[in-house]
Amino acid sequence: MSAVPVLETRGLGRRFGGLQAVSDVTFSVPAGQVLGVIGPNGAGKSTFINLVTGHTKPTEGRVLIDGKDLTGARPWVIAQAGVARTFQIVKPFRGMSVRENVAVGILYGSNGTNIMSKALKAAEEVLEEVGMAGLGDRPPGELSVADARRLEFAKALALRPRLLLLDEVMAGLRHTEIEPSLELIRKLKARGITIIVVEHVMKAILAVSDQVLVLHQGKVLTSGDPRDVLSDPRVIEAYLGHRYAKRREGES
Amino acid sequence: MSGFLQATVYGLLQGGLLALVAVGFGLDPFLGMFVSAAVLFVFGYVLQRFLINLVINGPIFITLLLTFGLDLMIVQGMNLVFSADYRSIKTSYASESLAFGGVRVPLGRLLAFALAVAITILLVAVVNRTRTGMSILATGMDRGAARLMGIRARHVYALTFGIAAGLAGMAGAMIGTVGTFNPSAAASFTLMSFVVAVLGGLGNMYGALVGGLVIGLVQAWGGQYLPGTWVNALAFLVLIVVLIFRPTGLVGRAFYASRQEV
Amino acid sequence: MSTSTQTPPSTNVPRQGISGAMRSAQARRLFPWVLGLVGLLAALGLQSQLYSGQERTVATIFMFVALAQAWNLIGGFAGYASFGQVAFFGVGGYFTAVAMSHWHFSFWMSLLLSGFVAALFAVIIGIPLLRLKGHYFAIATLGVAEGMREVVTNLTDLTGGGAGITVPTVGNNATTAYLGNDGFYLLFLGLAVLSVIVGGLVARNKFGYALRAINQDEDAAAALGINTTRMKVLTFALSGFITGLVGASYAFQQVTIFPERLFDVDITVLMIIMVIIGGSGTVLGPLLGAVALQFLSEFLRQNFTNLHTFILGAIIIVAVVLLPQGAVNYVREARRTKEFSLLANVRKYRL
Repeated sequence: MSAVPVLETRGLGRRFGGLQAVSDVTFSVPAGQVLGVIGPNGAGKSTFINLVTGHTKPTEGRVLIDGKDLTGARPWVIAQAGVARTFQIVKPFRGMSVRENVAVGILYGSNGTNIMSKALKAAEEVLEEVGMAGLGDRPPGELSVADARRLEFAKALALRPRLLLLDEVMAGLRHTEIEPSLELIRKLKARGITIIVVEHVMKAILAVSDQVLVLHQGKVLTSGDPRDVLSDPRVIEAYLGHRYAKRREGES
Repeated sequence: MSGFLQATVYGLLQGGLLALVAVGFGLDPFLGMFVSAAVLFVFGYVLQRFLINLVINGPIFITLLLTFGLDLMIVQGMNLVFSADYRSIKTSYASESLAFGGVRVPLGRLLAFALAVAITILLVAVVNRTRTGMSILATGMDRGAARLMGIRARHVYALTFGIAAGLAGMAGAMIGTVGTFNPSAAASFTLMSFVVAVLGGLGNMYGALVGGLVIGLVQAWGGQYLPGTWVNALAFLVLIVVLIFRPTGLVGRAFYASRQEV
Repeated sequence: MSTSTQTPPSTNVPRQGISGAMRSAQARRLFPWVLGLVGLLAALGLQSQLYSGQERTVATIFMFVALAQAWNLIGGFAGYASFGQVAFFGVGGYFTAVAMSHWHFSFWMSLLLSGFVAALFAVIIGIPLLRLKGHYFAIATLGVAEGMREVVTNLTDLTGGGAGITVPTVGNNATTAYLGNDGFYLLFLGLAVLSVIVGGLVARNKFGYALRAINQDEDAAAALGINTTRMKVLTFALSGFITGLVGASYAFQQVTIFPERLFDVDITVLMIIMVIIGGSGTVLGPLLGAVALQFLSEFLRQNFTNLHTFILGAIIIVAVVLLPQGAVNYVREARRTKEFSLLANVRKYRL
């Protein structure tokens, strides 16, 4: 088992005009781990994902995937390197059926096939994996929120990725819908896929993460064991504000 | 926003011809153009409200095609009613010029320029400071949210289109005083107005002014220093070069380049 | 909330499971080719029945079929509405005219080269312009077409400028005998068939999936490993190639060509209307749209000479309002959702 981390960033940063959305993010994710990434709104989580997956070019720093420097590479290059992602606002291909949506990734990923019929069959298998077995023929517009999220999952899985980045996949789900998603994440981890979960839902983060990274105002605030991080007073202050943190301190 | 551009196609011609009619009645064309502006505003409003709004929700070129069909009808209609002759509007003063140092400034064009600047400023003020103006901006940015706040999107679109038509009408009248026109000229003016608007950039009201000035300058300099009719190609070259380096136009807002409508 | 969905081309899986579906999907896959073959034979047979004037009209219909299909590749499938498509038409036409009259190439040589020259042109302007979105791309390509017209008008030594250029068709200078009405009928038919085949292949293959994905969500497509830049440029080049071939054929047919005609924006608009009304993103749509519109245009021109443009405009308006997604897409959706009412269709796209 090579010690090269699946994902490593060094001093990663992105400036938009006057705003430094992400700055000096340095960390690495070993293979097979689940990393949770949390931070209050505006912390730069989505920008961070875009930087890693090539949708936005970094203005500083490096991104290394399996040791290879892929900083600033176009999104399809990163996808071909085995990195898949979901989008926070789901982006299905509306004119195609659910199965065809998944087939796209199989046709164009590095681990797939070029033959249409095989791709459609493989797509069906991916759909079964995420629990959407009977929905292959539907147009994406008819899916429920939970199913639409699962379609995002399925599309990403079609790439047979080594690294999967999940951008707030639990947002807006009911309690009963969260557990199957967590199950899916555990299943994928068991298969050896490295997963980065960007989330607001703390229960989910605690349930699946091996490590947690906290972003605040574009910088890394802290990282480490989930429970430690979540009870770190700086993290609480970042989320809930200075006065709440002080009050809590006063109480304890 | 693109409907805004569309209105130019007939507004220009209608305006010119209507101003001609107004002159026939003895009105000075620079005043008559306000009349044609008013008439065209109404025409444009009705058109948008009851016809074009029917296809607004579809992909962009459906609207373009619809207005193209309208263009065909209106230009042909004018050909039939007004005949295809070239016309121009004569004023006693438009062809005179003022002299500044060694440079002559034709009065007609100077007036047109002044009017264009004045109208742009007026429009910017109205859009940014009045309630109506703000509803136009809001609808342009997020139609769904605007409607939830009680803005009548159908009315706003019709209003915008009406304004565009009215403005085009005034432009037509101004063009009539400095040159000749006939119904078939509509196409080249439309093309130019598109080029100018996109060059300047959508989403910023000063964009059209900037674009117009740039194109005007380019054509004037080109005419001085380039042989033959290369001048015409120059405007397009400028547009393409600008778009390559600034994909949203000179002063346009990136926001408007790719919006999803609700 | 409006959701416009096209019926996916080869699903509608019947109950007997995936392998059974594959079999009947195979039948469904072959059917259009069979239909196309029948159509081709019909067109060939038709030729003997037509007078020469009618032959020319039908040849023009074939020409527009090819143009519409070519536009559909970049505008319909990939979703990049090129309003400057006629630039490829003109480039192809002028290259052939110049090659035949100045360099004494044979027509067939010029034809093939024209296609490649147009495709190369597409690549050159595509790389910078395909980065633009929506309105900007449309106007920029329009600018290219208009610009090319001016360029051609100004290169008087090479192209004859505004006075036009004549392809030598008689005497010692003629490198290829003029094809005549019969010949051109077959040539344009051949181009139409080529364009339909290319359209059909693109629609049903991996390439078509990529284009549709790019059309519907370019970011998502890129995230799935699709090299969007390469796909777009390739499509544009293919579209340009076919359009260039058509332009070259047109130049030979017309013998004398002028910049205002070969770079006429109306040609672009016409082919776009044909694709939209027929149904963009499908193979049958542009075919039907081209045939229907040309037919209509000819009919009106002959029977209502004064008003024909006026009526054409009115018909376009009605068609666009009632069937904004195009006839073929409308029929497919209606069959799927069992909702045939035209009024309901209008309501989908209205504000």
